[in-house]
Amino acid sequence: MKRDSHRWKWILVSPALVVLILAASGPLLIVAVYSVLSPGNMGGVAWDFSTEAWFRVFFKRDIFDPETVTLNADHLAVFQRTLWLSFQTTLICAALGFPTAWFIATRPVNRRMVWLFLITVPFWTNLLIRTFAIQELIRNTGTVNTVLVWLGLIREPVDLMYTDFAVLLGMSYVFLPLMVLPLYAAMDKLDFRLVEAGYDLYASRLQVLWHVILPLVKPGFIAGSILVFIPSIGAYVTPRVLGGGRSMMMGNLIGLQFGQGRNWPLGSALAMVLLVIVVVALIFYLRITTRETGGRDGRH
Amino acid sequence: MADGAQQSGNEIEIKAVSKVFGLGAAAFHALTEIDLTIRTGEFFTLLGPSGCGKTTLLRVIAGFEHPSSGQLRIKGQDVVGQAPNRRLVNTVFQNYALFPHMTVAQNIGFGLKMLGRPRSEIDATTSEMLHLVKMEAMAMRKPAELSGGQQQRVALARALAPRPRVLLLDEPLSALDLKLRKEMQTELKRLQVETGITFVFVTHDQEEALTMSDRLAVMNKGRILQLGSPHDIYHAPKERFVADFIGETNFLSLTVSAVAGGCAELVLPGGRTVSARIAEGVLPAKGETVSAVIRPEQAQLVEAGTGDLSATVDGSVFFGTDTHIHLTLEDSQSFTVRRQNTVGQADPARGARVGLALMPGALQVLRG
Ligand SMILES: Nc1ncnc2c1ncn2[C@@H]1O[C@H](COP(=O)(O)OP(=O)(O)OP(=O)(O)O)[C@@H](O)[C@H]1O
Ligand SMILES: [Mg+2]
Repeated sequence: MKRDSHRWKWILVSPALVVLILAASGPLLIVAVYSVLSPGNMGGVAWDFSTEAWFRVFFKRDIFDPETVTLNADHLAVFQRTLWLSFQTTLICAALGFPTAWFIATRPVNRRMVWLFLITVPFWTNLLIRTFAIQELIRNTGTVNTVLVWLGLIREPVDLMYTDFAVLLGMSYVFLPLMVLPLYAAMDKLDFRLVEAGYDLYASRLQVLWHVILPLVKPGFIAGSILVFIPSIGAYVTPRVLGGGRSMMMGNLIGLQFGQGRNWPLGSALAMVLLVIVVVALIFYLRITTRETGGRDGRH
Repeated sequence: MADGAQQSGNEIEIKAVSKVFGLGAAAFHALTEIDLTIRTGEFFTLLGPSGCGKTTLLRVIAGFEHPSSGQLRIKGQDVVGQAPNRRLVNTVFQNYALFPHMTVAQNIGFGLKMLGRPRSEIDATTSEMLHLVKMEAMAMRKPAELSGGQQQRVALARALAPRPRVLLLDEPLSALDLKLRKEMQTELKRLQVETGITFVFVTHDQEEALTMSDRLAVMNKGRILQLGSPHDIYHAPKERFVADFIGETNFLSLTVSAVAGGCAELVLPGGRTVSARIAEGVLPAKGETVSAVIRPEQAQLVEAGTGDLSATVDGSVFFGTDTHIHLTLEDSQSFTVRRQNTVGQADPARGARVGLALMPGALQVLRG
């Protein structure tokens, strides 16, 4: 009887499972195969097995002497910048997202929906347009510089465009709601009587935050961090517009190989590297964040 | 314990405290002009029906709500505006509010940790508290792995650990089954005596209030109706609500034939007059019809034709230790008598005519 219902369950979920497997692993398989082929003349791939793409992800051959091999510092710099900027974006989103979510969660119930709705408003506009709006703010003749010069705080406009700062600003802005929403969901479930119990037992505001609220909304932080970190790693539009060629991220590097670079195998190999970075970062992150709670009480 | 010696004096003084929620037309008066003094080291109970403002009053004392007006002093010190974490008052919350991410031991040690006490002291007090509430075996469990009664004991230990001056308990026993409830009542009372801490206990169970308290206040609709010892409240209720809420009562509508020396002579159905006590602040006039109360155990069935009243038996209900006999008086008011049961005693037959003797001094004239 038990086994019977078990079998039924599998039969019932099988269509969804098939779609999932095909949709998720199909493209991945194509990318994996492409990464071990040779580049075609006009883009695309030639069906000759080659590990050259993987080699070139990490190493560079001297133009005149192909036997001289050096580490591909450009690529490594992009990897490093991608990780670092994504990490900082996650931190900034967490730092800004917490008070925002807290603000919403402490409003009267009927107002919360309005605030949540407002949080999602930026999603209605195309990402590219929003990114250009930021550009409009921070370029040399943009709003920020104009106002600062006019106030006399600076004499010359500060170069903000095409810096890591610009990319960071853009990504934090774009991904903030992805942190706020899961944090809000966690706070919504938070029993505020526990906060009172904390105060009752002589905890200061900061202590209540640290010992009661943060541990209880941790699942929201974990979900939010994952939701922000992963798209940050793969960001394309924001670093393209605000970082240009000077502050390139992995998404741009990959895009380049499929466009001007006309090296699809290299692009595919880079995409695989990106995937590995995300998986490794996720495993590492979940390891450290769920260590003391343990699997059994993960519910809390 | 540390300062277990019973000091005399007033622990909490509440003067004309009101609490209004909302504004304008939507304003709701949760507390109205509460005057209350709670003495050091006593077991004080707030008793009243659901929604009467008991929790609100506790929250005002704990500091979670600010009174809309009035004064609040703890140990002589004005605490209006003082944050809850600065008041030496701990609460056992209505739903326990244990920290789900901490073990039982961490929950109990939390208060001392926040007070910045050294690790050794926290550990020592925690194990002392675990012993006190008999939860040593579960120190490493999370609250979700405990039964309701166990959670309740942890909540109690957590609130007691910092040795507060005052412990506020908001219906801590309401979620427990009858047997556990009785056990915990005894345990609470023992803890209160042992620690000498002032307990302010909230309940809507009148029996619990009567058995546990040194003094109690009966509340209704945001007001304190009567304050006194369980004995006073039971035997000398001032108004109908109090008499009705505490225990079972017979209300009789009677005419005053004379008033003298703090007593009223009332005319009973059938013509006999009987002397009745007068509740404080009531001024009955001769010829007026007043409401008087008498408890079911303060009257006795006697031979028909004798006693103060005559009545007809409507039926009886067996309660184990006693039997409630429902009667109709001559003027068709109803009356219930409680009779202690003995072996082999027959219940009076339905429709039988009986006499009724009232205990001298048991009848009391009520306010309103
Ligand atoms: N924050 C609030 N805003 C508006 N009204 C409130 C608020 N808190 C309590 N009240 C109202 O005040 C009244 C008293 O509430 P309180 O919680 O003190 O009752 P209680 O005596 O503890 O009842 P119970 O026995 O059910 O716990 C209730 O009618 C309640 O609706
Ligand atoms: Mg209550």
